[in-house]
Amino acid sequence: MSAVSVAPSTPLPSATKVPFGRLVLVEWRKMTDTRAGRVMLIITGGLIALVAGIILLVTALSDMSALPASTWMSALSFPVSLLVPVLAIMIVTQEWGQRTHMVTFTLEPSRLKVVFAKLLAVFVLGVVTMAIAVGIGAIGTVAGAAIAGSDANWNVTGEALAWTLATQVLYLLMGFGFAMLLLNTPAALVIYYGYTLILEASVFSALYFVFDWAQNVFPWISMQVAMMPFVAGNEMQASGVAVEDGALGIARLVTSIALWVGLPLVFGTMRVLKSELK
Amino acid sequence: MIKVEGLTRVYGTFTAVDDVSFTAEAGKVTGFLGPNGAGKSTSMRIMVGLTNPTKGRATINGSLYADLPNPGRHVGVLLDASAQHDGRTGREVLTLAAMTMGLPKSRVDEMLELVSLTPSEAKRRIKNYSLGMKQRLGIAHALIGDPKVLILDEPANGLDPAGIRWMRGLLKEYADRGGTVLLSSHLLHEVEQIADELILIGNGRIVAEGTKDSILASQGTAGQSLVTSLDNEALTVALKAKGYSVEPIGTGMRVSAAPAEVGKAALESNVILTDLRDGGAGLEDIFLQLTAETQRESVAPIQSEGVSA
Repeated sequence: MSAVSVAPSTPLPSATKVPFGRLVLVEWRKMTDTRAGRVMLIITGGLIALVAGIILLVTALSDMSALPASTWMSALSFPVSLLVPVLAIMIVTQEWGQRTHMVTFTLEPSRLKVVFAKLLAVFVLGVVTMAIAVGIGAIGTVAGAAIAGSDANWNVTGEALAWTLATQVLYLLMGFGFAMLLLNTPAALVIYYGYTLILEASVFSALYFVFDWAQNVFPWISMQVAMMPFVAGNEMQASGVAVEDGALGIARLVTSIALWVGLPLVFGTMRVLKSELK
Repeated sequence: MIKVEGLTRVYGTFTAVDDVSFTAEAGKVTGFLGPNGAGKSTSMRIMVGLTNPTKGRATINGSLYADLPNPGRHVGVLLDASAQHDGRTGREVLTLAAMTMGLPKSRVDEMLELVSLTPSEAKRRIKNYSLGMKQRLGIAHALIGDPKVLILDEPANGLDPAGIRWMRGLLKEYADRGGTVLLSSHLLHEVEQIADELILIGNGRIVAEGTKDSILASQGTAGQSLVTSLDNEALTVALKAKGYSVEPIGTGMRVSAAPAEVGKAALESNVILTDLRDGGAGLEDIFLQLTAETQRESVAPIQSEGVSA
């Protein structure tokens, strides 16, 4: 049927250990080479463009002054923080769902190396997508100022920028940890969005300002509440809540991160290393 | 060369693989044969490090799979052709493998050509592949690193007859070049034409191994005939006089003698034969008999072909 030989037409390079950088490139490619991956990135890009477009349109049509850079940054990083974690989750769960883990782990038997390669690919994804959102935000700040005929308001400090980036990466790692722990796409998505959208965005923030006990307990168990003194100290002071950004605040922050990012990553990695692949 | 030593895998109270030892040698195709659930796939998963053995070990050219540097370049593995991402194209699947192994992109085209996947088929998503196409892609994936050893689980599954013949030729050429091939199947006729060595497994244990002829000989089914004549009674008397046992089956008889002996007895007693053939059990009968305990369906007795059939 086929006259082609099994042997390679030109000698192949010698077989040396698979370098870690190559694994990261492969994992990066796997995040973006499926329809699901591409659709997620296109929707994210589309939402960023949509949000930027609406802000500019409103600025042009109304008499208001141009929005400051900080508003642009938080408006555009929202679609990124909402959708990109899906990719961080699927880079793990898809391997189990589609059973490609059998291929992945026969080509690289060191499962820990594969986990780290995926982790680094997710980290780079977080930095790149956030850089794009912030970059477009900067362009929007300039464009908005030009439309409104005012000076651009660069009120974003380096510290605020770092917190935005760190938050994005932390939530990606959390999604990644849940994914390894559950090894199932729907379950990991439900838990991830259940925590971020329901517990953090609604329950914790609603109860926090109402009950005294909540102000003592939540900073230890909610990443968002623990971060508040560092990212929204002024707003907290304005609502009459004590701002703990000293040692106590840092201890709370570390505890909440360990709880939601550290533990899922550690136990998830253990599960991936031990599980039987079939 | 694949060397398996005392491989055992226990799940709770169930022993999936029970003290399996064998060697698949270079330059030969070794067939791993057994009914569904006999432990073939579990054994193969242990060989490539996806499943941990409870006891024993498997080595490939002397090393554990996990210790091979860039294992795709040493061992071509196809455990399940369906275990590919539905949303990727065939070309993308091979490209990812080539990237991981550090191979030039040209190798992807070479492999697509080898397994006769056309450029337009290679651009399609796996979701739209037939099982046969997935199987071809899986074989391309296993061969892309030009490995010295192949481990293929049910590679003929889903291939059409022409595809099966093509794969046989491919694996034969591969073994002739000095490669080691271990392939599993639950279909005997798929394996017996291509395998130099057979390993029969049932209930997690090896029940027979060796070449086809040596397995047949070891089971002592040679020297049996199936015969029908115009005068069965006279022939029975003549055969019994020579000390052979005779038992009637259908319109004929089964005799504990080689066909030549039966022909001689017929000639001497002037009985006209209408049918005479070797009544030794085929490999299939032995296979079914040896693995009978593990078959899901009870198997008909060994005389699968009656005289009048």
